[in-house]
Amino acid sequence: MLDPTSLPEIELPGSPFEGDTSRPAQSFWNESWERLRANRIGVAAGVLILILALIAIAAPIFSLVLTHFDPTRQHLIDNFRPPGHPYLLGTDELGRDTLTRLIYGGRVTLGVASLTVVLSLTLGTTVGLLAGYYGRWLDDLLMRIVDVFLAIPAIFLFILMSILFRPNAFTLAAIIASVGWGGVARLVRGEVLSVKQRDFILATRSVGAKDLRLIVRHLLPNVLPILIVAASLGVGQIILIEAALDFLGLGIQPPTPSWGNMLTNAESYFFHSGWLVVFPGVTIFITVLASNLFGNAVRDAFDPRLK
Amino acid sequence: MTTPLLDVQDLRTVFDTKEGTVKAVDGVSFQLEAGETLGIVGESGCGKSVTALSIMRLQRPGRIVSGKVQLKGRDITKVSDAEMREIRGQEIAMIFQDPMTSMNPVLRVGFQIEEAMAAHRRFTGQQARDRVVPMLQRVRIPAAKERIKDFPHQFSGGMRQRAMIAMGVSNEPSLLIADEPTTALDVTVQASIIELLRDISRELRAAVILITHNMALVASLCNRVIVMYAGRIVEQGPTRAIFKNPQHPYTWSLLRSMPRMDEVGKERLVSIRGVPPDLGKLPTGCKFHPRCRFKVDRCLTEEPPLAEVDPEQLARCWVLMKNVPNPEMQS
Amino acid sequence: MLLKFVARRLLASVIVVLGVTAVTLILMDRTRGAYVPGIDLNPALRPEDIARLRANLGLDEPFYQWYLSWLWNVLHGDFGRSMIDGSPVITHILERLPNTLELTLTAIVLGILLSVPLGVIGALRRGSKSDHALTVFSVGGFAIPQFWLGLMLILVFSVTFQHLGWPWLPSGGVTSPFGGGDLGDRLLHLILPATVLSLFYLSLWSRFTRSSMLEVLSQDYVRTARAKGMSERRVVYLHGLRNALIPLVTLVGLELPGLVSGGLIVEVVFSWPGLGRLAFERALQYDYTTVMGVVFFTTLLVVAGNLLADILYAILDPRIRYA
Repeated sequence: MLDPTSLPEIELPGSPFEGDTSRPAQSFWNESWERLRANRIGVAAGVLILILALIAIAAPIFSLVLTHFDPTRQHLIDNFRPPGHPYLLGTDELGRDTLTRLIYGGRVTLGVASLTVVLSLTLGTTVGLLAGYYGRWLDDLLMRIVDVFLAIPAIFLFILMSILFRPNAFTLAAIIASVGWGGVARLVRGEVLSVKQRDFILATRSVGAKDLRLIVRHLLPNVLPILIVAASLGVGQIILIEAALDFLGLGIQPPTPSWGNMLTNAESYFFHSGWLVVFPGVTIFITVLASNLFGNAVRDAFDPRLK
Repeated sequence: MTTPLLDVQDLRTVFDTKEGTVKAVDGVSFQLEAGETLGIVGESGCGKSVTALSIMRLQRPGRIVSGKVQLKGRDITKVSDAEMREIRGQEIAMIFQDPMTSMNPVLRVGFQIEEAMAAHRRFTGQQARDRVVPMLQRVRIPAAKERIKDFPHQFSGGMRQRAMIAMGVSNEPSLLIADEPTTALDVTVQASIIELLRDISRELRAAVILITHNMALVASLCNRVIVMYAGRIVEQGPTRAIFKNPQHPYTWSLLRSMPRMDEVGKERLVSIRGVPPDLGKLPTGCKFHPRCRFKVDRCLTEEPPLAEVDPEQLARCWVLMKNVPNPEMQS
Repeated sequence: MLLKFVARRLLASVIVVLGVTAVTLILMDRTRGAYVPGIDLNPALRPEDIARLRANLGLDEPFYQWYLSWLWNVLHGDFGRSMIDGSPVITHILERLPNTLELTLTAIVLGILLSVPLGVIGALRRGSKSDHALTVFSVGGFAIPQFWLGLMLILVFSVTFQHLGWPWLPSGGVTSPFGGGDLGDRLLHLILPATVLSLFYLSLWSRFTRSSMLEVLSQDYVRTARAKGMSERRVVYLHGLRNALIPLVTLVGLELPGLVSGGLIVEVVFSWPGLGRLAFERALQYDYTTVMGVVFFTTLLVVAGNLLADILYAILDPRIRYA
């Protein structure tokens, strides 16, 4: 008969015999962070974004130091100046300094983009968590609503809403977020459904944990990686949408500068002042590129299998 | 001396990783005659699957760096890609571990079996199509005629594996390699699959290489056994001899960790301490010594060669179990 | 089982369409109270006339009545008349629809035709220079603002070329205003806008095809196919590409909704007389009937597009039908 008390002792890894090659275990977050750090392109892109954000936040300081101009200051005599001194990137039709306007424009664009991300993540996550966790009729109801929002062609929704609610930065963010939250909700719901099946949820419930506690303390942390990845990947698109809306005149209105509205009339000035068309566009491109690259790096860091 | 069907000579396959070159198969040699069943056993990562894949030249992204694999006297590590493709599926066939992922989910089962035959010149397209139903019947899949139109997910696990076997033997290969054919299946189904393999290989008079970590399977199917550890052969010989008189401590531990019906109450189950080695950071001397209960000083510094300990039985050990007086007492 | 699947999806689609129209109309509701029909044409309208016109158009009805009567009309094919010029909305829509389709279909087809080979090359030659070039190209292409690219292309290929006396590409419209209208002329006008529009798809799909191919090629069943001794070509295309294209179909299907509305920015930049531009211009003028008509019509197509993609997917991937 097998005598349990006489079974040989189990040796744990880390025991002092030669050839032991066990590595210390790391938390999921640490591992992901390590992977992110190792991705050089991602890090470079992330640093660039940080710099852009810094410039945006500290816009007045930067413009004071670099250009000494106010973004709305018109100096009609100096209109259409090519890049040079003292207007480092030239001036537009009203003599306003391009570089300064780009700096302040960054504030607008990045500000709206961040706000949009926050709004759509918040709404989307809440709906997704509720739908996924409670299931049944609530799930059906919420997901139908999401379907509706996802079915409306985004562009039309933007146009309608921009016309109806005179947009400032906040309403613009709300408008753009109104289209994106649906995708987030679906994503979160999917994740919740798969996590819900796992045993630790059953175990927690059997101990009598309240719903809210379960959702916040157990489901939410598991859903966070997906959110982070979705946010990083989505920022680029949001910036492009925001710029397009501004360009069409449906977003931030002049004289507040934004990268998009700096291009609204630039077409007609192309011949003699080509820089007016090039600079804002290139700025948008670089920003979106950096944020896409960073987003890719984040996604690879959190889920290397997807590579 | 007749040429053996398969003659593997000092096969070495490596993988290039970020941490350096890993020797997955490090000098493996064995021979196989027609009609023989050879078992290759070992823990995960010991190199048994890579050996099989190397024989098929499917080892990518690994590289075969040296050694020979002679199939009926022909070194197939050196033949062209086109020639190798002819050999694959026709002379040598391989059956993989997980039948669910090993079959294309969007193509019908009948088509995938037909494909196996149509890819080679032995059967014409029409002949291949005609052979599909008989093949399925041979592997005892009921209602074969209707089943050929089904998709893999409509089959049960055991039936999928049977279909894989049908795919494998459809060209009547001389060598059949089965890589853990029952590991992904329910215990109740395993026995029937093993029986099927035995019958078919006997019928074809094919040589079989059975890769597994399940010693019980080896006992029931194989004439000879090879025990692998860290990419090397540590023991090989006839199944009976190995089971009765394992000479390498690793083999001995493997057998001792298995409960046996005929020895109830006699011995304690013993586990092998430690973890499988990291092939990138192997110790000096004998690769098994960190986990060995019976080591002596020499084991830490010098790697033993694979030497004959009995007629037909080889082991790679300085100590050898026959020289250990009371092995169960040492734990 | 395929039939049941289709029926279920159809039902869901109907619900969605109803929901979308409700939402859109709720938004447009805000304009109802303020809008005075015909004010642009005749600023001297008396209050009684205004009241009469509003009553005629049902502008003061409770919301649900307005919605239901609009819905009823629509289901009978009556999309109402434009608030601006009184002409039937449906006429405008049908006029502009072919133009939009011409543009977006060309862009999508172009996108697919170029993405698949690029993606396959990228996957098969993973890590090589051409693979890296592909990645750079697609990541870059994804970051360019569409309107800016359109602008730049016009400025270079239309304005500058013309200025330099070189053969130049037209900067807007479907055909030349004078003479032209033949196939060659239409194609010329199509080049720039279709290129801009397809760049987005190209960037997205080529990368996706590449990663889908890579994933499929690493699957066990590809290893089995090789073990059966099949030619590499067959393995890559029959077992590899065929399976890799399935998720791409879904992705392309996701763009079918955008077929009618996604080209809006390009339409505006290139003065392309399509549905998107129609909605944009009319929305600015509070022409709610036209806007509603376009939105409803578009949504119908969106939902139909989704349905189609789902069905296609179910045909290609038999596992779905039994889900």
